[in-house]
Amino acid sequence: MRRREFAAKLWTKNEEAEMKIDTFKYDNRIVRAFAIATIVWAIVGLAAGLLAACELFWPGLNAGLQYITFGRLRPLHTNAVIFAFVGNGMFTGIYYSLQRLCKARMFNDTLSWFNFWGWNAIIVAAAVTLPLGFTTSKEYAELEWPIDIAIAVVWVAFAINLFGTIAKRREKHLYVAIWFYISTAITVAILHIGNSIEVPAGFLKSYPVYAGVQDALVQWWYGHNAVAFFLTTPYLGLMYYFLPKAANRPVFSYRLSIIHFWSLIFIYIWAGPHHLLYTALPDWAQSLGMAFSVMLVAPSWGGMLNGLLTLRGAWDKVRQDPVLKFMVVAVTAYGMSTLEGPLLSIKSVNSLSHYTDWTIAHVHTGALGWNGFLTFSMLYWLFPRLWNTKLYSLKLANWHFWLGLMGIMFYAIPMYWAGITQGLMWKEFTPDGFLRYPNFLETVLQLIPMYRLRAIGGTLYLIGACIGAYNLYRTAKSGVFEGDTEVQAAPLSEDKHPDGSGHRWLEGKAGLMTIFAVVLVLIGGAVEIIPLYLIKSNVPTISSVKPYTPLEVLGRDLYIREGCVGCHSQMIRPFRSETERYGEYSKAGEFVFDHPFLWGSKRTGPDLHRVGGKYPDAWHYNHMEDPRSTSPGSIMPPYPWLLTQKLDLNSLPARIRALRKVGVPYPEGYEKEDALKDLQAQSAKIVANLQFGSISNAPPDSEIIGMIAYLQRLGTDLKAAAPTAALETPATGTELASNPQP
Amino acid sequence: MIKNVLTHVGGIGLYGIVSVCLFFTVFTVALIFALLKKRPFLNHMSALPLADDTYSGPCPQLKGDLRHE
Repeated sequence: MRRREFAAKLWTKNEEAEMKIDTFKYDNRIVRAFAIATIVWAIVGLAAGLLAACELFWPGLNAGLQYITFGRLRPLHTNAVIFAFVGNGMFTGIYYSLQRLCKARMFNDTLSWFNFWGWNAIIVAAAVTLPLGFTTSKEYAELEWPIDIAIAVVWVAFAINLFGTIAKRREKHLYVAIWFYISTAITVAILHIGNSIEVPAGFLKSYPVYAGVQDALVQWWYGHNAVAFFLTTPYLGLMYYFLPKAANRPVFSYRLSIIHFWSLIFIYIWAGPHHLLYTALPDWAQSLGMAFSVMLVAPSWGGMLNGLLTLRGAWDKVRQDPVLKFMVVAVTAYGMSTLEGPLLSIKSVNSLSHYTDWTIAHVHTGALGWNGFLTFSMLYWLFPRLWNTKLYSLKLANWHFWLGLMGIMFYAIPMYWAGITQGLMWKEFTPDGFLRYPNFLETVLQLIPMYRLRAIGGTLYLIGACIGAYNLYRTAKSGVFEGDTEVQAAPLSEDKHPDGSGHRWLEGKAGLMTIFAVVLVLIGGAVEIIPLYLIKSNVPTISSVKPYTPLEVLGRDLYIREGCVGCHSQMIRPFRSETERYGEYSKAGEFVFDHPFLWGSKRTGPDLHRVGGKYPDAWHYNHMEDPRSTSPGSIMPPYPWLLTQKLDLNSLPARIRALRKVGVPYPEGYEKEDALKDLQAQSAKIVANLQFGSISNAPPDSEIIGMIAYLQRLGTDLKAAAPTAALETPATGTELASNPQP
Repeated sequence: MIKNVLTHVGGIGLYGIVSVCLFFTVFTVALIFALLKKRPFLNHMSALPLADDTYSGPCPQLKGDLRHE
């Protein structure tokens, strides 16, 4: 009875709709522009990654050029892959699917093109500034403040275009893909603005308002959710659109997609602290991050299963169709990495995996498998349709698929091997209670064969992408591009849906749905971040911790410029294996003047938090000039330019002023004269120390002097106040007591 | 049981309890929303990607020709 009533109402609606039919055009040109940019940036980003990977077993590969050392190349690679390749891929899919799901052209063509040119100009700016050393050092948020502002402006333009299109839609209900797009638009804006609050200290230099522990938590609230809301939610939207299209069957369970969406966006935002397990972050925040990360398996796997089960009854097509092959691997890689992520968030697993190549393997399963393969499948599906032709070569597409798949295998398996090997080596003790591998370098040299194999994997994947680019180019050449697709659809009637209630009612109200999504997203971040500001006991103060001297400030900024944080952590975890190797574990109160925090997330080289005073100044001088002269076999590149380039003394007052604004207690007017005097006095001492070490030609105003000053300062505040510090209640004290390490 | 689990997570305090309650509330509400859906509506929604102008299905040459719906 109800079904008959519903059919009758639909019939009436259709009759009414027949009275007025709109004719309009979908904009394919903007989709083409983003698609081409996706392919170009894919090759750039992958090539940058391959070069960086090769530098890890061939440290002289930068040919003495400071612009392409591993430290500067790594952020270029991650930005190119995340924001250029995946970002353009995301826009390609959204601009194509949104118009069709809304049965409307994009809200405003000018905004569309502003989005395209603005976004790609930002990427070019990143490609120029990062090799030049202009970086904030915060992972996936390295770009400096003028570019941050540009990102915010372009993103707002995209959001206006998105919501404008939704507002003028001719389909009452918003398909689940659009919910994912909405959550992406609003959350990325919140994350980007929240993590980029910084005080400029010049045109391309700034300091974040947060310091130490707070900065770390805000950064990983951002960093983790950049993965969630830039690499995952928009791509889940693309999966929910393009997978049914390619399989020619509806999504397996729309109910499951509803649960998938709401639980995913709610849980994801809480999981950021799992990047900071066993650090100086308060224990309660770590526990929250871990618990929510484990919960995250449920919605993630719900989405994965929904994707794979959409193919039920169509698996025969998977054998033939390269589009579906890429999609199946992409969704499977999503499932693997979303199972592995929660696994790595369990504290006991994390104690082994963190700072090793295991994390690198994990993120590349996601990036190469999930994002890469889903992007390529979408492009293979789109190009023949945009150009009204057939795919140029199925054979080449299959070659691309197998090379890509082999590339992922050759990348991931050696990195898992390397990660577990190194993690175990770091923790191994002899029966007498000494570290079996006290020299960190021993554990690095063990990994070199794995790094070579990884580079083979990267090469295979890159070759596959080049073949794909050629195939898509020839496809486009063989067809005729249709700039506008003319279609007809009935306008949206003003009356309510005949059976509108519950979530269906909510889906019709895009604005209200957006507000619900914003509230859900904000809850997790607020519960984690606000207590760090309000509860003083979360960051116990240590009276002996003092602000950096002017020379150390400049040295620290050089450390940031060179991307040292990409290979060296500054966070000694409360494990015996770490305190034996590096010294006293790190305390939250030691970082209160660290704008930004430099804890790092990977140890290709040793932790440096207690390196201050460990070696003479001359050792650092020689080490930076040629790391292999002091550490035979080291894979660190030489930094000879530090010995000749001059410290940027002119910028010192602006830096001191900016640091004072963010809360570092430099006296008012200190930057006018006293700062320079202090700097000169400290550099004179270092020069004298170097002369004592038989280095007589070091100019007192060279960059190496600042770098030495900073490195020699690291961790020494606590050493100076050892008796007092021992009385402090450590934030992670419970772990030290409850998790004794072998 | 729940109290026992929570007290063994160091320093989690009130925030943990509030967070778990929030999570279960959101999850339950989403579940109820999903279960209240009617079949015709679900069919309509899940078919939306297939309802636009473009040919859905495998690579055109696998079907023999490019077809517009």
